[in-house]
Amino acid sequence: MPSHPLRVAVVCSSNQNRSMEAHNILSKRGFDVRSFGTGSHVKLPGPAPDKPNVYDFKTSYEQMYNDLVRKDKELYTQNGILHMLDRNKRIKTRPERFQNCKDHFDLVITCEERVYDQVLEDLSSREQETLQSVHVINVDIQDNHEEATLGAFLICELCQCIQHTDDMENEIDELLQEFEDKSNRPFLHTVCFY
Amino acid sequence: MSNEGDAPHVIDMTTSEKVVELLNQAALMGTEEKLTVLKQVQELIINKDPSLLDNFLDEMIAFQSDKSMEVRKFVIGFIEEACKRDNELLLRLVANLNMLLRDESVNVVKKAILTLTQLYKVTLQWMVRSKAVTEMQEACWDMLTQMKGDVLAQLDSENDGVRTHAIKFTESLIISLSPRTSDSDVPKRQDADISLDKIPKDHSYIRYDVLCEEGKSALEQLLKFMVHPAISSINLTTALGSLATLARQRPMFMSQVVQAYETLHANLPPTLAKSQVSSVRKNLKIHLVAVLKHPCSLDFQAQIGTLLLDLGMPQSEITRATPVPREPRKRPR
Repeated sequence: MPSHPLRVAVVCSSNQNRSMEAHNILSKRGFDVRSFGTGSHVKLPGPAPDKPNVYDFKTSYEQMYNDLVRKDKELYTQNGILHMLDRNKRIKTRPERFQNCKDHFDLVITCEERVYDQVLEDLSSREQETLQSVHVINVDIQDNHEEATLGAFLICELCQCIQHTDDMENEIDELLQEFEDKSNRPFLHTVCFY
Repeated sequence: MSNEGDAPHVIDMTTSEKVVELLNQAALMGTEEKLTVLKQVQELIINKDPSLLDNFLDEMIAFQSDKSMEVRKFVIGFIEEACKRDNELLLRLVANLNMLLRDESVNVVKKAILTLTQLYKVTLQWMVRSKAVTEMQEACWDMLTQMKGDVLAQLDSENDGVRTHAIKFTESLIISLSPRTSDSDVPKRQDADISLDKIPKDHSYIRYDVLCEEGKSALEQLLKFMVHPAISSINLTTALGSLATLARQRPMFMSQVVQAYETLHANLPPTLAKSQVSSVRKNLKIHLVAVLKHPCSLDFQAQIGTLLLDLGMPQSEITRATPVPREPRKRPR
């Protein structure tokens, strides 16, 4: 076991669906977890693909919920967005942007390659201080409800395996290879330093 | 004695009494509580009343033989803070750090390497600042030099994480033991750090030319480490990042760095899995761009550009990351 409970961050683009699904499951399993988005704004589906609902990261899930109820309760009930926001507001108040968080993690899991790139860009632009390592792993998850659920379970299983290693840094390479074979998806993996 | 009508009676312990009480409590506690209490003691004797630091040093350091590795790691952090607060304590504490560097737990060893990375710079600066170097200081520096060698040797450790930490130590060592120039990128936090150019050539104990050679030799070791055919993807990634940092902070090494990137690109370790190759190539791209953006990349832009094209970066993006050559200064009329 690592010396302390793993500090995990799960990151997607808007901190709504994929990262929150994983946040939910991981916190239920007792992980020290936080979730983030890397986008410049929070985007939720709107009445048409080219008309998303766009919020800034200061807007609370509650405010988004109320906004969408006001705009078209039926549509956003039917497509599951209200249900998702309702779940989210029980987990935390508002979405958080990864780039604005200066807390340190042991493990950052991203949900798509673009987000992984943004996380790496942000971490490598910070000045190194303690040189403590943080492992960043990308698990590709499509941004829909079903895939988010499956992805969250995969992330959770991965975190549990990492948490139970005797020596995470010595075993993580091999562990990821096993997971790749098992889940049949490639993981990007790198290490950054705080 | 308190009389009625006085201020409400509070147990007004001095900081010193408080520390004694906390240390007594800590001796009997389980790991979690012990850590909380020791952190309080650290705060009291390092930040609140540093005059107490000397008094309670031995009691704090005694926890280095605690059975919990978390407590031993805490002691390492304490050693770092104490020595930064009062450099003279290096004389007493470097030997303790040396012991912890050989701890049975790799997590303790890794923490000790991180702390040595910081304290190496601190000690060098302290030595340079001292007008008359005492025998004790000489012994302290000798021990630190030996520890430096031990950590460099850990580039060959059997443990992947220890190797990663040894790479970061090596990176920091090379920065310290090479001169900062006007072209050097200097992170704000490291602005006051020691570097070779600040070491007087006539110092009574520290030898400028010896340190200069040690720095070059550390770079050689890092470059050699990178071409090991069985290097793990994480250590390769770490080394690639270290080289980019070196090229930006010490542009005199840029040619060696770009050469190393070229060699690596042409000979990726055969042991890497497919997704690891993708991860390494992505990292290589990020670090090449970081080097390219440095104003000193002028002589290497063609090489770097070719590598980036090979790695799939569009020419337009490469051009955008390429700095415009500095115009020669116009003479004021």
